[in-house]
Amino acid sequence: MEQIMPWEMEEQMDEFFIPDYINNLADEVLKHYDFSVKSMEVVTTKHDKGGAIWKLETSAGPKSLKLLHRRPTRSLFSLGAQNYLVHVQKANVPPIVVTKDGADYVEAGGKLWFVAEWIEPLNPVSKDLEGAKLLCAALGEFHRLSKGYVPPAQAEVSSRLHKWPKDYEKVIRKMDWFRNIALAYSEMPASSHLLNVVDLFEEQAKRGLERLNQSSFHELIQHGKEYWGLVHQDYGWSNGQMGPNGMWIIDLDGVAYDIPIRDLRKLITGTMADLYRWDTTWVREMIKAYHETNPISPELYDLLMIDLAMPNEFYKNIKEVVYEPEIFLDDVTSSMIQTIVDTDQTKWPVLEEIKDDWK
Amino acid sequence: MICTEKLPVPPVLGGAIQTYISGVLPYVGKSHQITVLGISDPSLPDQEVIEGVNYVRIPGKIFEIYRDGVSRYVASNQFDLIHIFNRPLLVLPVRNAAPRSRITLSMHNDMFNPEKIPPEEAKAALNEVTNIVTVSNYVGDVIRGLYPQESAGKLTTIYSGVDSGRFLPGNDPKMQKIRNQIRKEHGLENKTVILFAGRVSQNKGVDRLVRAIPALSKKHKDLALVIVGSNWFSQDIVTDYVAYVRALAKKLDIPVVTTGFVEPNNIQNWFAAADLFVCTSIWQEPLARVHYEAMAAGLPIVTTARGGNPEVIEAGGNGLVVENPEDPNCFEEKVAAILSDKNQMKKMGERGRSLAVTKYNWERVGNEVLRVWGRRASTR
Repeated sequence: MEQIMPWEMEEQMDEFFIPDYINNLADEVLKHYDFSVKSMEVVTTKHDKGGAIWKLETSAGPKSLKLLHRRPTRSLFSLGAQNYLVHVQKANVPPIVVTKDGADYVEAGGKLWFVAEWIEPLNPVSKDLEGAKLLCAALGEFHRLSKGYVPPAQAEVSSRLHKWPKDYEKVIRKMDWFRNIALAYSEMPASSHLLNVVDLFEEQAKRGLERLNQSSFHELIQHGKEYWGLVHQDYGWSNGQMGPNGMWIIDLDGVAYDIPIRDLRKLITGTMADLYRWDTTWVREMIKAYHETNPISPELYDLLMIDLAMPNEFYKNIKEVVYEPEIFLDDVTSSMIQTIVDTDQTKWPVLEEIKDDWK
Repeated sequence: MICTEKLPVPPVLGGAIQTYISGVLPYVGKSHQITVLGISDPSLPDQEVIEGVNYVRIPGKIFEIYRDGVSRYVASNQFDLIHIFNRPLLVLPVRNAAPRSRITLSMHNDMFNPEKIPPEEAKAALNEVTNIVTVSNYVGDVIRGLYPQESAGKLTTIYSGVDSGRFLPGNDPKMQKIRNQIRKEHGLENKTVILFAGRVSQNKGVDRLVRAIPALSKKHKDLALVIVGSNWFSQDIVTDYVAYVRALAKKLDIPVVTTGFVEPNNIQNWFAAADLFVCTSIWQEPLARVHYEAMAAGLPIVTTARGGNPEVIEAGGNGLVVENPEDPNCFEEKVAAILSDKNQMKKMGERGRSLAVTKYNWERVGNEVLRVWGRRASTR
C-alpha cells in the first residue's frame, strides 16, 4: 500500500487539494465504520506534513474524519488522551467514533485515521475581553481534567515537561541565526531593522533562561507528568468554541505532557499582539479566569511571568527568515518588526504592574 | 553478539555500530562460534549463515518489542559469552534469560546518561557485565564519572576501524578516475575542496564552517565546499537548521556542493574527491567514524575539541584541533593554517593514511575485542 507523504501545493491549486491516493485511502478507511457517508468535504489540510480533516454527513449524523500526520505511535498518545477526557473526565471534547470492530482508529498508508463526532453548533466566542475570559476558563478546565492521563502501553509518550530550558536555549541560539542571516543578506530592506533589534530580544531570552533556572521550575517538574496533565499546543479562538453545554475544545492531536500554563501564555501574548498593545486589565482578567478553573500556585504564577517575558512574538514571527531570506526580509517585514518592537515596549510596564499579584 | 533495535547487520542501511560489528566478525569469528542477533529487514532473511557466522534476525525498531524477542531467543539457546552493543537496558533482561553467560557491553555513545537509563538499573547492569568496551576514552570517562564504583576495572577503550581498501586517497590508481569525474561533474576542477560529511544538524555545527568561508576565500583562491549530509534535500522535512545553513551557503562566493543523502557504499568517492576534511561538531560527540574515513582517504583533518574527536588527532601530525568550535574564526584559523602550507598539508594526509592502515584497521579492533573476551573479571 502506498505510504502517505506530504504533498506539494502550487498557486493555482485549490487550497483543499488532496492527492487521489489519499482520497482513495479515505474511502477505504470509511468502510470500517458502521454508517453510510452521504457527503464529505475537506475542511483543513496540512499538505506540508501530510495531514487532513474532512467533514462527513453520515447516516448517523455529522462526523469528522482525520488523517493524523504524526507517527502512528505518537498519534496513539493523543487518541488515548481524547478518550480519557471524554469517557473518564466527561470533558466537552468530541467523542471518538469506533469502527465496526470497536477500534478507535484505522491504520492506512502508514498513518492513523479516526472519526469523531462533529459537534454542532459550535460558535467562536466574541473577540473581546469577555470572549478571552471564556477561552481562558475553558482552557483551565481542560488542563485540570487532563491530569491523571496515562497513555496506552503501545503509545509513544509525548512530553515537553523537561524541555523548557532547551526551548529557551533554542530561542537564544536562533537569535544568532537571525543575526547571521541578516548580515549575509544585508542588501535586503529589513536586514538593518532586524540587526538593530536582535540584540535586545536576545538579551531578553538570555535573561529568561537565567530566571527559569533560578525559579521553582526544576522542583515543579518533579511532580511528574500525570500530575500536570496535558498542554494543547494549538489553542485559541478556533480550537476553543462555544457549543452545547458550554465551551468545547477540539483538535487535540498535538497534546503533550507539560506544565500546561504554556497554553495560557500563548493565548495572552497572541491576544495582546492582536490588540497591538499590552493591557493590564486584559492580562489580569485572563489569568484570573484561568485560575478559577485551574488554580495557579505562586510558583506557577512566577513561571508564567517568566514565560510572558520571553521574546515570544519576535521569535514566532521572525523564525521563518531562514527559509527564504531573499523574500522574507522585505518592507513588510520591516514594518512588522517595528510593530513587534512597539508592542513589546508596552509589555514591560504591564508585567511590572502584575508581578506581585500572587504574593 | 546482540545489536541494537535500530538497524540491521550487515550494515545494508549504514550505521556505526553495524559497521563495527561487521568489521570485527572476520577476525573474532575464526576462534569462536558466533551468533549475531539483530533486527529483521525486508532485504535480509530471518536466519542465515555467512562465513561461519550465524545471523538471527527478529523484529526490532521498537525497543520493547526487540528486548522481549532478545530475551526469548537468549533463553532458548546457550552462550558462553554475550556481547551487547550500546544498550545497557538489555543487560538485565539478558541476564535473566542467561544466568550463567559472561556479558560484555560495548558503548558507542551516551546511553548510560540518567535520562536514558534510570541510575538504579544502570548500576545493576554494570554489576552484571564483566567488561565494558568503549569507542573512545571520552565515552568511558563519562561512564566512570557517573558510576565510578560499578564500572571500576571494567572499562577498555577500543577505537574503531576503517576499511582502508575501500577508503583510498584520491591519487590512488583505483580512485583517480572517480575523483576526476566527481570534480568535473560538480565544477570542482582546480579547486581546493573542503569536505564536511555528517548530519546537517545543529549539534554537528556545519554552519560554523560555512560562516568561516568568506574570510578563508579572501586569503585562499579557488576554494570549494562540499557538504555530504543527510537532512539536506530530505523530501519529508527541511528543518529550520537546514534552511539556515542553505541560506548562508547561498551567499558564499565559492562553489558549494551539497549532495544530500549518499548511499553508505558510495561515500568513499566523496572523500577521494576532497582535499581537506573538517568536522565541526559542537556537541560532546562520542567519536565520529568520519575521522577514520578521512584518514584512510589521506585527508588532513580539522576537528573539534569535543567528546572523543580529538583522541584520534596528533596535533600537527594528521590534523589540527579547534578548541572553541562555537566561534567560526577558530575554524578559519585552523583551516588557513593547513591550506597555507601545501607541503605540510600533504604530509598530514599521508600521516592520516598511515594511521588508518597501521592502527585503525579492523584486524587490530578484532584482536582487541578478542583480548577483552578472554579476560575475566577480577572481582565479581
